[in-house]
Amino acid sequence: MNVLEIDALAIALPDGRRLLHGISLSVAAGETVALVGESGSGKSLTARAVLGLLPDRAETTGSVRVQGREVLGAGGKELLGIRRHDAAMIFQDPRASINPMRTIGDHLTESLRFCEGWDRGRARERAIELLAAVRLPSPEDRFRQYPFELSGGMLQRVMIAGALTSSPELLVCDEPTTALDVTTQAEIITLLTELRASRGMGMLFITHDLNLAASMCDRVYVMRAGAVEEQGTARQVLTAPRAEYTRRLVAATPTLTSAGPAPARSGPAVSADEPPTPMLSVRGLSKTYHRSGKSPVAAVVAASLEIPRGGTLAVVGESGSGKSTLARMIVGLEQADEGDIVVDGTNRTAVPRTRDERLAHARSVQMVFQDPYLSLDPRIPAGRAIEDALRLHRRMTATDAAARARDLLEVVGLDAGHAHARPRTLSGGQRQRVAIARALAIEPDVLVLDEATSALDVSVQAQVLEVVARIRGERGLTVLMISHDLAVVRRVCDHTVVMRRGEIVERGETGPMLDDPQHPYTRLLIDSVPHPVMS
Amino acid sequence: MTSTPTLAIGVLRSPRTPRPGIVVLASVLVLGAFALAAVFAPFLAPYDPHAVDFSAIYASPTLAHPLGTDGLGRDTLSRMIYGARTALIAPLIVVFASTVLGILLGLVAGWRGGWLDAALGRLFDLVFAFPALLLAIMAVALFGKGLVAPVIAMIIAYVPYVARLTRSLVAAERSRPYVSAYRVQGFGGAWIALRRVLPNVTPVVGAQSTLNFGYVLAELAALSFLGLGVQPPTADWGAMINESQAGLLGGHFLPAIVPAVAVVIVVVAVNIIGEALSDRIGGGMPA
Repeated sequence: MNVLEIDALAIALPDGRRLLHGISLSVAAGETVALVGESGSGKSLTARAVLGLLPDRAETTGSVRVQGREVLGAGGKELLGIRRHDAAMIFQDPRASINPMRTIGDHLTESLRFCEGWDRGRARERAIELLAAVRLPSPEDRFRQYPFELSGGMLQRVMIAGALTSSPELLVCDEPTTALDVTTQAEIITLLTELRASRGMGMLFITHDLNLAASMCDRVYVMRAGAVEEQGTARQVLTAPRAEYTRRLVAATPTLTSAGPAPARSGPAVSADEPPTPMLSVRGLSKTYHRSGKSPVAAVVAASLEIPRGGTLAVVGESGSGKSTLARMIVGLEQADEGDIVVDGTNRTAVPRTRDERLAHARSVQMVFQDPYLSLDPRIPAGRAIEDALRLHRRMTATDAAARARDLLEVVGLDAGHAHARPRTLSGGQRQRVAIARALAIEPDVLVLDEATSALDVSVQAQVLEVVARIRGERGLTVLMISHDLAVVRRVCDHTVVMRRGEIVERGETGPMLDDPQHPYTRLLIDSVPHPVMS
Repeated sequence: MTSTPTLAIGVLRSPRTPRPGIVVLASVLVLGAFALAAVFAPFLAPYDPHAVDFSAIYASPTLAHPLGTDGLGRDTLSRMIYGARTALIAPLIVVFASTVLGILLGLVAGWRGGWLDAALGRLFDLVFAFPALLLAIMAVALFGKGLVAPVIAMIIAYVPYVARLTRSLVAAERSRPYVSAYRVQGFGGAWIALRRVLPNVTPVVGAQSTLNFGYVLAELAALSFLGLGVQPPTADWGAMINESQAGLLGGHFLPAIVPAVAVVIVVVAVNIIGEALSDRIGGGMPA
């Protein structure tokens, strides 16, 4: 008997919108099944339906059976039984899913004490056992700590331990590693794989990352717009996709091994007899944050880098490596403690004092921010945002600015109709294109992309990266790219520096560095990227 | 690192009603009717509000006097219609002025932060310590009876409510990436604050200020009831209740009940509209 059997599950909202169109899938005991799809594909909805978490007043048809018991239409008591004993779920963001006001111990023992009626001592013993099982160091100490004292990776382990308290037959993991660093992700995946093997659980693994799914799962279901596009073994889906959509998804997914299209090398040729002056040069840049009552944090320590005119450089690192602080110092959002930032021969380290200095600084560096949902003013239509930037830097009439804004929207692959659209009516990819157009309006010397594609779906990410590559080719733009994603970096940048805890640990040409990393940390980063197992 | 949004949160929330409810609509109509009555009082009121008629003292409702008359034979309906003028215009002035001042002070405090924020914060705490009505009574004691002194006092008393809300909204807005994006584009701080952040917080603050209208109206009516605000014989709801006290003892309730009910209806209507506005606008703000 399969632990999970979903048969022709369809979910519709009262207003007639159909969210799922007949999903069928199964998970056998001891098997890991991936549900892969982009945002809006309905994969999370499917996962939540397994535990009876449905949208308000949703109409469902079909069936969802956990251990042979029907979930859809089950009464409160039955549903409780399934959630307590048969199936458990791990959510995407551990920090948002654990009560911040209770200790880790409370989180783990409350279900044992109140649902199973265990006494305090026995529950505590079991909780510490589980914390040890998810390999948290010194579980007794963790037991008394609050969520804010733990890192994201540790919290995700706590959440896994919490899911295991009921010894479930089925573990539903909804993007359990998406909010984590790549090295932490690798650890969590190893842990989940071991736990599944030792407990013989069935696992339904929801992810947007095709490589991750292929690297750890037996079978893969690819979802799109509420329907299953394709299913099969991990190997078959990844290497010989049958559906057109899967083929595109596989092509759009950047990998470490295949370089994909080589980064476009362009820019005006520098004559051989004069030494090339770098477009962006950062020398000995340092920044330390002083927090009251705590030890100061060195965010960036003596960072130096250079990008030639028209070149691309990636700064790679995990969260807390200081890569974002570095970017914010370069664009002038943070003040460096020490060091120099020189753009096209002009020192841009100091805070601009006058309006002219401020504008000159803006024309030297522009930035595209990480989250397009937050970096656009919610009230300002896309076209207006670009016109504002244009008219700030150049004297032009409103009509000229509007025409130029439309041109820029076309450059980034949008059309004039989007000029009147407010950000909330645009998709993530469209918003990021607007943000790029807005940066281009100022015609900067250097464009900084701060994790500019990490909030986007892979297919959208591929399109946005293509836009960036095309603009680079046309305008000889110098690009500094901040990223945690080595595969994306490989696709886009000629040179890469690796940062760790504020220090640059390795630098060099992207391809050779990724093929033959010198620093152990670089090697760890590369090894942590999920590789599909081709056995 | 960021997370890919995997779940359309909007889907899980029950869809919001696109049109305002019947109650809100009714409130708007009621308030509109009172406003029209105040503006066109001379055309609508059947009698001069000050016309004394000793032949019809404490008259019961008749066709000639639909809501009866008071102790001096003045037509209660006419006085209520004229009374809507002071009842509506004074709170309007208070709400408008306190909103403008409060938003400006709140913007300065929230945007600049630091010592200025701290100093303004303490100042607001000081004003908060005084109930608005007490401040108004003190103003009357200093500057004499009438509507001008209490209105100014009420403006001062209500500024901190607006300023504190504005300050917290602006401070939250200031840390949003879109503000950083404006900075990177080279826009100056003052421009960002006034032209971009201010319009983004104004709807929320405005909706909250609408709720103040009801409180101010009730408090000013109370002031007139105490004989400190609008002075007889001017028709004003608070003053009307005050003047009809003697009649109450004699069993003539109507001259007191009519203005009292008018106060209640307007306050309730304004609060319903204010809450509907807050819900609507609050939901429309960026997450």
